[in-house]
Amino acid sequence: MGMDFGSFVLQLFSGLSRGMMLFLLSSGLSLIFGVMNILNFAHATLWLFGGYLTYSFMQAFVKSLGSQVLALLPAILLATAVMFLLGLALERLIIRRMYPRELPEQLLLTFAFILIFGDLIKLIWGVENRRIFLPIEPWEILGSFINPYFFVIIGAGGAVALGLWWFLHRTRYGKIVRAAVFSRDMVSALGIPIPVIYAGVFGLGIAIAAFSAGVFLPIMPIGLGVDMDLIIQCFAVVVIGGFGSILGTFVASLIVGVVYSYSILIWPDGALAIIFLILVAVLIWRPWGLFGTELRY
Amino acid sequence: MHADRSQRRWILRLIGRLGFAETITLGLGLLLLILPLIPGKYVVVVGAEIIILGLFAMSFNLLYGYMGEISFGHAAFFGLGAYTTALLMRFFQAGGGEVGYGQFLLAILMAVPVSALGSLLVGYFCVRLTGIYFAMLSLAFGELFFYIVFSWYSFTKGDDGIQGLLPPPFFRDVTQYYYFSLLVVAIAMGTLWWITNSPFGYSLRMLRENKNRAAFLGINVRTCMLVNFVIAGAFAGLAGALWGPFQRSVSPHLLSCMNSGTAVFMTLIGGAKYFCGPVLGSMIYTALNGYITLYTVYWPLTIGLIILLVVLFMPGGILSVVDQWLRRAQTHRNASAAEVAEDPKKGGGASWPSGFSKSAG
Repeated sequence: MGMDFGSFVLQLFSGLSRGMMLFLLSSGLSLIFGVMNILNFAHATLWLFGGYLTYSFMQAFVKSLGSQVLALLPAILLATAVMFLLGLALERLIIRRMYPRELPEQLLLTFAFILIFGDLIKLIWGVENRRIFLPIEPWEILGSFINPYFFVIIGAGGAVALGLWWFLHRTRYGKIVRAAVFSRDMVSALGIPIPVIYAGVFGLGIAIAAFSAGVFLPIMPIGLGVDMDLIIQCFAVVVIGGFGSILGTFVASLIVGVVYSYSILIWPDGALAIIFLILVAVLIWRPWGLFGTELRY
Repeated sequence: MHADRSQRRWILRLIGRLGFAETITLGLGLLLLILPLIPGKYVVVVGAEIIILGLFAMSFNLLYGYMGEISFGHAAFFGLGAYTTALLMRFFQAGGGEVGYGQFLLAILMAVPVSALGSLLVGYFCVRLTGIYFAMLSLAFGELFFYIVFSWYSFTKGDDGIQGLLPPPFFRDVTQYYYFSLLVVAIAMGTLWWITNSPFGYSLRMLRENKNRAAFLGINVRTCMLVNFVIAGAFAGLAGALWGPFQRSVSPHLLSCMNSGTAVFMTLIGGAKYFCGPVLGSMIYTALNGYITLYTVYWPLTIGLIILLVVLFMPGGILSVVDQWLRRAQTHRNASAAEVAEDPKKGGGASWPSGFSKSAG
């Protein structure tokens, strides 16, 4: 198993971009869990749904715009907007009823979403994998050929991460969301409409997921079943980083993304097993995660 | 109308005397006993799946309903049991071509200690945590077991699974295998009944309600949880052992988190607070799965919508709704019998404890 420097660099970039996508996905998951105490099992399935939507929108735009690269951006934005609205609707119509319930029942509900949306995807788009090919020439960096699109993903992920941080720490609504994580009742007592915040957070989480799916589409084919692998990795990320810690989620995403990317090279079948080994180790050694506070445990 | 009412009274009296869970268990048992009378082999096939998965879900409920912890890796022990039986049967087949009766029973029985050992290993770490962390660690261990079985090709045949698990001639007939499974599961359920109604079972309920208080009363919380984890794993292994020879094959997907989820859904659909809730859940889930697939390829959509409706409108599972409904009927009967013009809510309550939660306190 010779790993030369070139493939080392290539896997690093591939791992970083995978980590970025995991971060976008897990941050929504973590945010929803932090604010509403709902562990959304269907997060990756909605991500997949967003990816398929992006694909379809792009097919439609390519006809009018003519260029693959030009069509991608509006397709991603439109899919993100649609998924935001879908998130709002799901929260208002269904998830809202589950807040007083116990965790397992909430999980069962979101699992029902996995089945429903997974099958809707099959119904609408069929069982073939979908993929977008962008006509981009790879760049030669440090002796290996890197798809420059990796930089787009890393840049987009970084931008959303910064935007999320800015939103949560610098805007009024972000501060309300963080306060709601801390104490729902207190926020509600101050006259802030908690239901609106809940719907908004759920919509935002789903929208970020859909955005990441769209951005990732040109380098990873999407298909049925991808969501199950991904959601479990997201759980791993959220637990390794620590529930409720955006920084922890970010670091853990990069760890999981890069470790996964190198394990694929060394032991393809066991890549996920290594992630779970890390997860088991973290849970035994620091159950509250690398960046979480012991209080929440 | 009158006949209907007296019939309902008869049921209420029976429940009042036996207890709600006991009556339902008895009813389900009788139903499963006469199920093969329905013509057609397919009913029996689905029935055997109901029984085996019902035991699997019941073993899960030992952790969830009784101890109050949710495991997403319980299928690992189901799969461990299934693979133990499968590998032993392959071993015996390699020796003499066919699996003998003694060898077959040995292969099934050996699944119990192997899964118990596996769950001892996993449980040792899991019982240190509670709540969502318990769930996550069990999920991680479950996936770890899955990937070990999935990638250890030389031993487990990886993704191909193990085929050709032909049981001895008597067990090849579906109906005969059905009754064999029913017997094994009935014995297992009897043991589970004994365990859950022993002082140990009541300690578990106490752990569910308040671990700190239990510790103050001198219960060794971790040991108690670990013993329960091992028992649950052992029964899941027994269910897995029955599964392999019935399907004639095993595959790594028996260990997947989706299969762990199945146990969770069955339990929640049926009612986690009732002894046989998981079996009822298995009956509903497996039958829907078995029959909806005959009519549509979109069964995940159908079953997803059904789960959605059950979760939204039947909190606590089907048995919980039935229990409450009968309780109201009983209250109503008591009130009208006494001819007291009181608020029916104040009238004499039902004469059986709700689920097994109240009987603990």
